[in-house]
Amino acid sequence: MSEETKNISILEGRKGQVWRKGEGGAFVCDRQSLAGSVTQRACAFCGSRVVLYPIADALHIVHGPIGCAAYNWDIRGALSSGPQMHRNSFSTDVSEKEIIFGGEKKLRAALDELIPELKPKAAFVYSTCIVGLIGDDVDAICRQTSAKYGIPVIPVDSPGFKGTKRLGYQAACDSISKLIGTGDTSKVGPLSINLLGEFNIAGEAWMIREYFEKIGIEVVATMTGDGRVDDIRRAHGAKLNLVQCSGSMTALAKLMQETHGIPFKRVSFFGMEDTAKAIYEAAGFFCDEVVMERAKNLVRAEIGEVLPQLKAYRRKLAGKKAALYVGGAFKALSLVTALRALGMRTVLAGTQTGNADDYAALRDICDPGTIIVDDSNPLELAKFVMEKDVDLFIGGVKERPIAFKLGVAFCDHNHERKIPLAGFAGMLNFAEEVASSVLSPVWKYVPRRSGLGMEGVR
Amino acid sequence: MAVAVEKKPMRKVAIYGKGGIGKSTTTQNTVAALAEMGKKVMVVGCDPKADSTRLLLGGLAQRSVLDTLREEGEDVELDDIRSGGFCNSLCVESGGPEPGVGCAGRGIITSINMLEQLGAYDEENELDYVFYDVLGDVVCGGFAMPIREGKAEEIYIVCSGEMMAMYAANNICKGILKFAETGVVRLGGLICNSRNVDNEAQMIKKFAEKLGTQMIHFVPRDNDVQRAEINRKTVIEWNPEVKQAGEYRSLARAIDSNKLFVVPKPLTIPELEALLMEYGLFN
Repeated sequence: MSEETKNISILEGRKGQVWRKGEGGAFVCDRQSLAGSVTQRACAFCGSRVVLYPIADALHIVHGPIGCAAYNWDIRGALSSGPQMHRNSFSTDVSEKEIIFGGEKKLRAALDELIPELKPKAAFVYSTCIVGLIGDDVDAICRQTSAKYGIPVIPVDSPGFKGTKRLGYQAACDSISKLIGTGDTSKVGPLSINLLGEFNIAGEAWMIREYFEKIGIEVVATMTGDGRVDDIRRAHGAKLNLVQCSGSMTALAKLMQETHGIPFKRVSFFGMEDTAKAIYEAAGFFCDEVVMERAKNLVRAEIGEVLPQLKAYRRKLAGKKAALYVGGAFKALSLVTALRALGMRTVLAGTQTGNADDYAALRDICDPGTIIVDDSNPLELAKFVMEKDVDLFIGGVKERPIAFKLGVAFCDHNHERKIPLAGFAGMLNFAEEVASSVLSPVWKYVPRRSGLGMEGVR
Repeated sequence: MAVAVEKKPMRKVAIYGKGGIGKSTTTQNTVAALAEMGKKVMVVGCDPKADSTRLLLGGLAQRSVLDTLREEGEDVELDDIRSGGFCNSLCVESGGPEPGVGCAGRGIITSINMLEQLGAYDEENELDYVFYDVLGDVVCGGFAMPIREGKAEEIYIVCSGEMMAMYAANNICKGILKFAETGVVRLGGLICNSRNVDNEAQMIKKFAEKLGTQMIHFVPRDNDVQRAEINRKTVIEWNPEVKQAGEYRSLARAIDSNKLFVVPKPLTIPELEALLMEYGLFN
């Protein structure tokens, strides 16, 4: 394989963002994407949208050209146990006329049409690039509409050109923070938490919530999976915030710490070890022996359930090599650990938006020779996948075609997964999915392993 | 850097200058004089206020391109947006949003594209001239639309001896320079619309010389211009005998016979200030 990959070079400006364990050198992250590198990162608008949209009883209206709404329509498989309003993608369909004369009237008309008809608990109004450019006074319209209908109407300051999706996360957090603190917390108990950065993909939030309910901890609000406006409004009554997707929600956790004095812990529910750790961290926080005892029993029972089956998978998967490219580095850490539990080695680990601390931890736990990349691109990923001759690629929708074109098994660990991969049961699902993909006989016949080399790919 | 514009069947002229300097007044009075000479002229107002053709039309009678587009959709006919004015001149107003909303620059782009689609510049109109009268400050790409490739090819800047008017003229030259490098647009001269500043004519002449161009005409201040405006008329229509009517005829003739089309050399700010100093403005 090395013959084919030799010709793919790393762009000069990106060399600091590619690091091999064992070779040393400085590692650079948390910077603007290099022009021409074809980053896998999305825009700020997209970032705000993926974070807010699982709030199921809110109206989400995209103020911009129709494409902005269409390309983000139902972008995560975020499930709701009740209302499904979030699965619509409302748009003001801004076109030439609105750009010249302003889009305010059309936005007002859209809100006047939708709010009485759908009776949402709140409305989020997303600003797109063109709205940021022509300067529609979205804030004023939101204020007036809010007063008119008596529901929160919240602007999301997310023109795409603001930056990467990380800045969109920030805009989303700013918007959610306008809801928090506006509800009645008198019924929130002393053993209570919020789950931040959990989006209920394939129903994962329900599984996690159940763990906590079983050990006697109340989950006040999930932000934003299976989210409800009223829960978020009283989220400030919770005593602890657990932050799962650190990239998207750490900003909100910090804000809640400042304004409401709620401490937060970064956790992960991917893999047995991290799930157990997360449950123990929450239980330990409340210094309640009964809760801790229940937590231990729960973890013991759950692991007892899945471990024998995992061992069987481990025997089959031992020694297989995995590449992973995900949004945030905290998740990458969990995946490295989870893969190790299956006897697999991570040979390439990359993230779109990891920060220096995350990467330091990632570099620590990786095996020698592992390549770590920040803000990578399809060409680089293809290069390393070939170079390392991996058996499995874990990523999201944008990585899927890279894997399939190269004839590599793929596991979607992002928005599009339909099977829950979180928690203990999720770890078993993960093992099943990985095994059924990686162990498929089809990979014997792909060009890179059938002796045809890259000629076969072309 | 002379361009052989006389070969072209239609001269495409854009008038720029600081806000309030008298672009619309000067343009319409000059167009009236050209029309009187028998030239077929179309004026395209590129100002959201849509007041660039009032004197030729005898009032704000014109429906703007963009208002028509907004109200009637794509189904627009040339006659809906183009009216006949004084002496067979043709008048179009681009129009635009109310102050404080939307994007007037995009409006100008849309509007000029619309005119082209509708064939407003086609040969059968037998136009000798099209004049674009553009909003004072070229604040964004939209307001430079009239001087992009294939649009206006010669530019006249209306200015006076007042400092800010000269600053603005110099700035506009920077814009012309940018488009001149990539296209055929050239500066045809400065029109001095006098504000009775000391040494005004000499100073603007010198300024023009430094820019590499000419002061094509000095239009003296005359209250007859205001009298005509009150009557919603150009000076020539209101009273063809007055002295000021002659001034505009001279300006029209100068433009009609102009051969000096240059890529301007904008001044640095110290150079501009030195010029003002030299002619006594700072004393």
